[in-house]
Amino acid sequence: MKALIKKEFSLCLHPTAFVFLTFAALVFVPNYPYEVIFFFSGLSIFFISLSARENGDLAFTCSLPVKKRNVPLARIIVAATFQCALLFLTAICIVIKQASFPEALLVNQAGNSANLAFCGFGALVLGAFNLAFFPLHFLRPNTVGVPFIISSAAQFVLIGLLILIRHLPFAAPLATPDFADYGIKLAVLLGGLCLYFLMTSLAAYLSMKRFEKVDL
Amino acid sequence: MTLRALEVQNLTKVYPNFTLDSFSFAVEAGKIAGLIGRNGAGKSTTLKSIMRLISSEGSVKVFGKDFSEEEGAVKELIGYVGGGFRFYPNKTLSAVAKAVAGFYPHWNEESFKRYCEEYAFILSKKVRELSEGMKIKFSLALALSHGAKLLLLDESTSGLDPLSREDFCDTLLTLKKQGVTVLFSTHITSDLMRVADQILYLSDGTLLLDEPLETLMKRYRLKRFAALSEAGAAGAIGVKEVKKGFEGLITGSEEGREATLDEIMIHLEWEKRRQNESAH
Repeated sequence: MKALIKKEFSLCLHPTAFVFLTFAALVFVPNYPYEVIFFFSGLSIFFISLSARENGDLAFTCSLPVKKRNVPLARIIVAATFQCALLFLTAICIVIKQASFPEALLVNQAGNSANLAFCGFGALVLGAFNLAFFPLHFLRPNTVGVPFIISSAAQFVLIGLLILIRHLPFAAPLATPDFADYGIKLAVLLGGLCLYFLMTSLAAYLSMKRFEKVDL
Repeated sequence: MTLRALEVQNLTKVYPNFTLDSFSFAVEAGKIAGLIGRNGAGKSTTLKSIMRLISSEGSVKVFGKDFSEEEGAVKELIGYVGGGFRFYPNKTLSAVAKAVAGFYPHWNEESFKRYCEEYAFILSKKVRELSEGMKIKFSLALALSHGAKLLLLDESTSGLDPLSREDFCDTLLTLKKQGVTVLFSTHITSDLMRVADQILYLSDGTLLLDEPLETLMKRYRLKRFAALSEAGAAGAIGVKEVKKGFEGLITGSEEGREATLDEIMIHLEWEKRRQNESAH
């Protein structure tokens, strides 16, 4: 698995995987739908998968001494590494923002406010992308566009729902800065991370199972 | 008992318009086996099925190790060389080689450098800058540098000029002396005449022949007949009209001349077609 992951980094990675990490800084923009940060993560995975297809990566990798079912797992581990890095960088930017911005600018009128709970929502959006994209892509590795459209649509529906929830009265504590309603935000963050882990694990399980039956 | 480098049992792959039909064969260690057949006969499907690049039924053993049980260990013994290195065109040769080396505990960097010198590779070059012949040599260098004991070659000489093919055949003969086993799929049968010990002849997904090249060449002779009736009386196989009269394969006789592998393939294929037509 170590060699497979190293190969993903040395031969398959697309530069946008790094570029889109910097989009974590979008949380500094006042009144902006911050959830789109996580859409760009999916876009970088789309570019990685697209260039892997054009490079004949899957057929080549399967001819190396690896189990065929481990090939999708390596891709998903690398994608999850970038997603976790994005969540981490977003969290750092949020801490900096909350420490340096006036309180009035900390409440987002265009979507969810950048706080701990938002990171939980982000994890949920990323997990949804993984669950929709990878099993579809590894069912037919030559198709990258259709799985991306479907997974992006799923992400945007979820983002819409999360923004809608933010305007409901019971969710009001989620829109405040972190120093208020700390407990509920932490619960949302942990819940989001757990769901991300479950959805990504399920995505890996389905992808590995499906890829074994694929003709390359 | 002779050691079998490759043992394939009941290999079956069903496509909507083609079936690789319960294909079984074995290749002894240190031998070169040629897999021949017309385009679409199932040669690439066979090699890809052996490598499990496509999902198929049947068992594959490499040096006694079962592929499905020890996939990683079995692949370490195999060097798979397709029609040329068509992967990662924008990566440098050194980047590809470095990534590949990480997969093999027995990767021999000295050996790789030696092949690079022998084939005159510039490692800073990108894959897309290589000629077709160089791409094949690069694939071969990668396969040989990890000490592959079994080479699976899929139409590897198709894009090569006659001189490069000759070099390639020389390399195979050298490898054979070192104990490497080769399964070589090609429709350029003259290459096999040079190097092969065993011929596997596939026709429409079915194994038509599996025997030593020498036996095959001794069994069939090519004879020309003035009339079709004459060919029929001689019991000729796969009789077809040629420029002057008719030609067919004959067995158990010293008449006619020695047939080439191409001619054997053509006339056996012709005979099969005739039998299918008469059956319908």
